[in-house]
Amino acid sequence: MLRVVRKRGYDAERGQFDSDLRARSKGVSEVKTIKVLPLALLGTAVGLVISLVLIFTRTLPVQASAEAAGIDNLYIFFLGFSGIIFGIVMLFLVVAVYRFRAHPNDEREGDNVHGITWLEVVWTVIPFVIVVLCAIGGLMVLRSGDVEAQARTSGQQIHVLGYQFGWKYSYLNQDIDLKDQQTLVLPVNEPVIFELESSDVIHSFWVPAWRMQMNATPGQVNETSTTPTKIGTFEIVCAYLCGVGHTNMNSALPGSIIPKVQVVSKSDFDAWVSKQKAEAAKVAESSSEEMTTGSAG
Amino acid sequence: MTAVLKPTLARCLWVAPAFAALAILITVAARSIFGMTPVLQESTLLTVAYIAGGIGFIVGIGGFDYWFTWMRGGELDPNDHSQHGAHSWGDYFKFNTDHKVIGIQYIVFTFIMFLVGGMFAEVFRSELANPGQQVLTDQQYSGLISQHGVIMIFVFMVPVFAGIGNYVIPLMIGAADMAFPRLNAVSFWLLPVAAFTLLSSFMFGSFDGGWTGYPTLSEQSGYGMTLYQLGVQLAGASSIATAVNFLVTIIAMRAPGMTLFRMPLLVWANLATSALVVAATPFIAGAQFMAMFDREMGTHFFTIAGNGDTFVYQHIFWFYSHPAVYIMILPGFGIISEVIATHARKPVFGYRAVAFSSAGIAILGFAVWAHHMFASGMEPWLRVPIMLSTLLIAIPTGIKIFSWLGTMWGGVLRMTTANLFAIGFIFTFVIGGLSGVMLAVVPFDVSITNSYFIVAHFHYVLFGGSIMTIYAGFYHWFPKVTGRMYNEVLGRWHFWITFVAMNVTFFPMHYQGLVGMPRRVADYAPEFAWSNMVISLAAFILGASTLIFVYNMIHSARHGKRAGANPWGGLTLEWLLSSPPPIFNFPATPRVIGGPYRYGEEGAKHAIVPEVEPATVETTV
Ligand code: HEM
Ligand SMILES: [Cu+2]
Ligand SMILES: [Cu+2]
Repeated sequence: MLRVVRKRGYDAERGQFDSDLRARSKGVSEVKTIKVLPLALLGTAVGLVISLVLIFTRTLPVQASAEAAGIDNLYIFFLGFSGIIFGIVMLFLVVAVYRFRAHPNDEREGDNVHGITWLEVVWTVIPFVIVVLCAIGGLMVLRSGDVEAQARTSGQQIHVLGYQFGWKYSYLNQDIDLKDQQTLVLPVNEPVIFELESSDVIHSFWVPAWRMQMNATPGQVNETSTTPTKIGTFEIVCAYLCGVGHTNMNSALPGSIIPKVQVVSKSDFDAWVSKQKAEAAKVAESSSEEMTTGSAG
Repeated sequence: MTAVLKPTLARCLWVAPAFAALAILITVAARSIFGMTPVLQESTLLTVAYIAGGIGFIVGIGGFDYWFTWMRGGELDPNDHSQHGAHSWGDYFKFNTDHKVIGIQYIVFTFIMFLVGGMFAEVFRSELANPGQQVLTDQQYSGLISQHGVIMIFVFMVPVFAGIGNYVIPLMIGAADMAFPRLNAVSFWLLPVAAFTLLSSFMFGSFDGGWTGYPTLSEQSGYGMTLYQLGVQLAGASSIATAVNFLVTIIAMRAPGMTLFRMPLLVWANLATSALVVAATPFIAGAQFMAMFDREMGTHFFTIAGNGDTFVYQHIFWFYSHPAVYIMILPGFGIISEVIATHARKPVFGYRAVAFSSAGIAILGFAVWAHHMFASGMEPWLRVPIMLSTLLIAIPTGIKIFSWLGTMWGGVLRMTTANLFAIGFIFTFVIGGLSGVMLAVVPFDVSITNSYFIVAHFHYVLFGGSIMTIYAGFYHWFPKVTGRMYNEVLGRWHFWITFVAMNVTFFPMHYQGLVGMPRRVADYAPEFAWSNMVISLAAFILGASTLIFVYNMIHSARHGKRAGANPWGGLTLEWLLSSPPPIFNFPATPRVIGGPYRYGEEGAKHAIVPEVEPATVETTV
């Protein structure tokens, strides 16, 4: 149906093959054609530079867990292909605007091209390959996380209760119940399994340095796990809007009531555990004493 | 005096309150008659009043006049066109059945809502400019961001495309109007009701659950939350009715010769979008009904105390709201195809691929909702299939981007403001698309979800995507709608300021999120101080750039150069009519004889509009 006038078409008026319809209408005999493949390569190079700049302006927080490196590598891979795609698209966009721009009172028409099948196949297949790579990368990181999680039968088991507005931790395997807003202390290089729950609304337990986030939801226990690999204190951020106190449920705010998480050496941790137990015993004793004196009186 | 009896806004002013009062009266009276306490809960009465008042508003404006007349056996003249077409500017404030009038009503109303939502953003950006809290309390802050999100999505972004479609689609397919003109008008008039419901919640302390309104936080909130739920239902009802209208119009009312593959790509996009709306929007309406019943009627769909489940809400909400993001971008894709083809003087490259990718996106769009819930604690295995489907959806999106590049390549690019916005759109949308691919990958998403990285992503696709396409469309069809040209110099200023300020506003948010700044917070760690200052300043400039646009539109509509029927040399049907088009569009049924983008073909035509109806038309059709 469609009569296709090709760029290098037969010009009936002049009875000859026209090398370039556009060249004719501009009154120029030869128009520099732009080769697409070299431009794509140039775009790749430009894109690579963009990727490297993005990768080397490192802005990620410290990697303080076993999972962090894998996730950061994914991110670097993303930046790699994103920069290249962006570079190619932008270079073609800019060159197109520069090269195919109309002049004032320009009455020419564009090439009557409705598509080039092989090209469309190429630009369907390349993104497909990229997303397959993303899927493979994502699945690998996900799986290694799951494998580690499975292996974590021995580590610390922490019950985290989110409430408006704070966190309360219990060490299930140590039989320690911390008070509201008391600091979470963990041993380094030992797996931790978190069981998250909420007593009111949805909160989200986010430790950016561990690249770990999980919602604390009322009515359900959510599990997630990690292995801290760095000693130090790290921010705990509530990431889900949970009411008026949400802004302040962030240990990074100056004067926040939320304590940062403390990762300490194994021996420090053991010392901390015995101190907690001793304190708990003292509290229990005094309260039972009170009870006995109470009943005696 | 008669104005208050005729179907006008003046009549709404008393009918709506009267309906509200009547509803309260009936409720109270019924309870006292049966010996119960007359007022059980004040909030119930308010809800009843809002619902009845909303219906009263539609009655007042005249939405049901025709049907009432029919029901009581009154006289109806099928040739009565008194409510069709605008003869003076006052007609734009009345119930009107002309799709062109409704289109303008939609566009102007939703754009005002865009300005309102934008003002909210400017206010909370001034809070965020400096660390610490100076301007807003926590309560006010959540109220404003929630209003901002809801207003932008439900009464600006979704309906503005319905407005553009309303004006352009019937013209493009050669129809005299939409299939159901009265339903069309009622759909529009539901929007002011929805907007009033949402905005009036400020009287009750606004609502504070973000635009997502998750329980169980929504159960704690003040009365404003009920108004959020009601407002979303009303906007949803409006968009479902419009989508049904589009579906029937596009399927049944195309001019002879307009085969599916001769439809302009905007029509394809609208077809896909309408199918999405019809299938997805009932979900959010349903979820909001259930959440509202929980609050107002003591049901237990999502309450923990009554063995409800908040996950059900999250799933239903996103089962709509992911398709909703395509509802907000697919029509924009359609606009970009029209604008680039026309201003590059070249056929759309890979027409069928572009058309089918819209359909592909619409279908796949239903299989990806749970990517908003990777960190919610849903079934762990569900993360994998959702990750895969989300990654796949990048492919049809990529096809479109490359096809637009292919369209420009070898064209003759007229750098009008419309085209500038289309080209700028490609730049910004690619960035939003790439961060979308990143977020599809579960471990990465889980490490930064609910942070400013997300805010950056969705503003790149909504502002850098949808808004750019909307501006491109506004400039492209402005001469058609008003009959006058806009000012190109002002248009260019508008483009460049918007484009630069938009990128400076939203790009740094990626970094903030990666480093650990959560979203929906009124204060942040000191390390984010300077980046937030930069963002806020850019946001103010971004807001100010809108004023250039508003001035250009208003001034040019009255004093611009005369445009003539076809200033861009477009081939699609709307350009074959005068600007603005006659009230009943085509003097005679047009005939479509070829594809819509036959640029570069000598003397090629997409369609022919006969001067008068040929006598034989009945027998030939
Ligand atoms: C002047 C332009 C705009 C600025 C400066 C702006 C700024 C922001 C910021 C900073 C947030 C995050 C608030 C927070 O989480 O603490 C936000 C949220 C949001 N914005 Fe915008 N925005 C603008 C335009 C738009 C547009 C055009 C849309 C279009 C649909 C939009 C949709 C949203 C949505 C849906 C949210 C999420 C609301 C929620 O958390 O429930 N914004 N905006
Ligand atoms: Cu919170
Ligand atoms: Cu989504």
